[in-house]
Amino acid sequence: MTTARRALPPGVGLGLRWEFLEEVLDGPALDVAFFEVSPENYMRRGGYYPAALERIRRRYPLVTHGITLSLGAHRAPDGDYLEQLRHEVERLDTPWHSDHLAFTSAGSSVFHELLPLPFTRDTARRVADRLEALADALGRPVAVENITYYALPGPRELSEGDFLHELFERTRAGLLFDVNNLYVNAENHGFDATRALDQFPLDRVVEVHVAGHTRSGSGLILDTHGAPVIEPVLALLARTLERTGPVPVLLERDNDVPPLDELLAELRAVRAVCERVWQTHGGSALPAERAEAHAGGA
Amino acid sequence: MQEGLESALSELVRGPAVDAQGLGALLSRHALGAEERAAFEAQLERWLVYRTLVRNTLRNAVSLAIPRTLARLGPLFDEYFERFLAERGPRTHYLRDVTTELLDFVAPFWPSDARVPPWSHELARHEALEIVIASLGEPLVPHVLEELDAERGLVFIEAARVVRYDFAVHRLPASDADRSAPAREAVALFAYRDAEHDVRYLELSPLAAALVERLLAGESLKSALVLACAATRSDPGTALGGAAELLADLAARGALLGPAPREDLREPPETSDDGATLREKGPP
Repeated sequence: MTTARRALPPGVGLGLRWEFLEEVLDGPALDVAFFEVSPENYMRRGGYYPAALERIRRRYPLVTHGITLSLGAHRAPDGDYLEQLRHEVERLDTPWHSDHLAFTSAGSSVFHELLPLPFTRDTARRVADRLEALADALGRPVAVENITYYALPGPRELSEGDFLHELFERTRAGLLFDVNNLYVNAENHGFDATRALDQFPLDRVVEVHVAGHTRSGSGLILDTHGAPVIEPVLALLARTLERTGPVPVLLERDNDVPPLDELLAELRAVRAVCERVWQTHGGSALPAERAEAHAGGA
Repeated sequence: MQEGLESALSELVRGPAVDAQGLGALLSRHALGAEERAAFEAQLERWLVYRTLVRNTLRNAVSLAIPRTLARLGPLFDEYFERFLAERGPRTHYLRDVTTELLDFVAPFWPSDARVPPWSHELARHEALEIVIASLGEPLVPHVLEELDAERGLVFIEAARVVRYDFAVHRLPASDADRSAPAREAVALFAYRDAEHDVRYLELSPLAAALVERLLAGESLKSALVLACAATRSDPGTALGGAAELLADLAARGALLGPAPREDLREPPETSDDGATLREKGPP
């Protein structure tokens, strides 16, 4: 497995969305540490979007975050798709590629949504093996994100924290820790997010996500990425960063995307939380060093 | 367990709606243990959230691609969308390709369904063509400023296609609210992506369509013209001038890049030590 070629700055980045693509492309330089992109939207195609992304790559650091690898599925990821992904991550020279701790397909069917995996040792072993194979196939470090789960399959063999420890003992991959997902799961399943956070292997975090969510009529919270980040999630972010030190933090917004100015104001609020923590608690390893350490099997 | 979980969830999200009674029958069709089935049954409402999420994501992708077809077919579209999910489902990793998979699935059914207007599939194909052309690859060869040669083929940009319809669906108003029917008229369009990445359409005469189709397939200019004239009962002498104008127009639009590389300038075939091509040295 190769090491990260380029570091992501330990600042606050933004998920790149087509709603404000042109402003990023042609507007004045934005105070955004990096942009995160879904490679599926740009790969295996020509035309405007890949051309635009190529120009953005020259202005800002990029990192890729996919959705359809189906890392936990019974069937291994599709070889053609992996080859196309490898081509894309090479083109974008992403410091690492991440996907989700989920399955998004069953046999040949692709759901385009993240479905939850059972927290079992078998699953941890399977996903760990997949992550190792993925890093080899892509020729660069990889990371995996904890997801929101509305239900969990089967009898629970492990807690989520223990499941993640089981997983990361077997892989050199990094953890892309989504703070909002932990918060949503805690609310929906009635456990204490802060206590659960303490069980997560935060020493493996290479990137953090924050996002907003929506409460449905039934009271269930949906991970819509369609609202501003709420205060309790920011508080959980602060607690996370106290443990991780400076890492890249990403603000995600996928639905009801507001004007870019509004998003940037929210990004500044997230950054204020990060800087407050980092000034108080300092940092340990920078994310790129951390990714390299994991990539090297340390 | 994972395989049983996937197949059960696949049926739950793609198949007909189930209630608590129906869930037991559904789970019994999949390789799940008693504890796993119990966990499913205890959280049915939560699992149905995934059914909604998957369906919304896929339907939104399709509605963005073919909004006018959806608006015109209404519940009839949803009936076929349900069939698509239940009987086939998306196989692509790319959300933008789900619509094409859906249209391939319904292609055999719509013509024989009297409830579906006969031009519906062509309208849907035409709407979906926008994303297809917008997403096609970049040119494989650079633009070559060379005189055309009748004995050689032509090189077009990758993002260029000839499409044929039996109805003039491309002339329908762009509004989703429009309910007018297209004229029954055989039409051929040259669809391509311009230098600004915008998708453009040119309506072609029968001769022009026959010519460009053959050129896109790699035939030499001379052969394509002769065969196109024969197919459309056109006079080659008269056609020559029109063809030259058409090709000049396509070149000016950036859709036609120039003549194909000459045979004698192409990469030589891979050879073995004795000089024979590897193809020649294949199994007897």
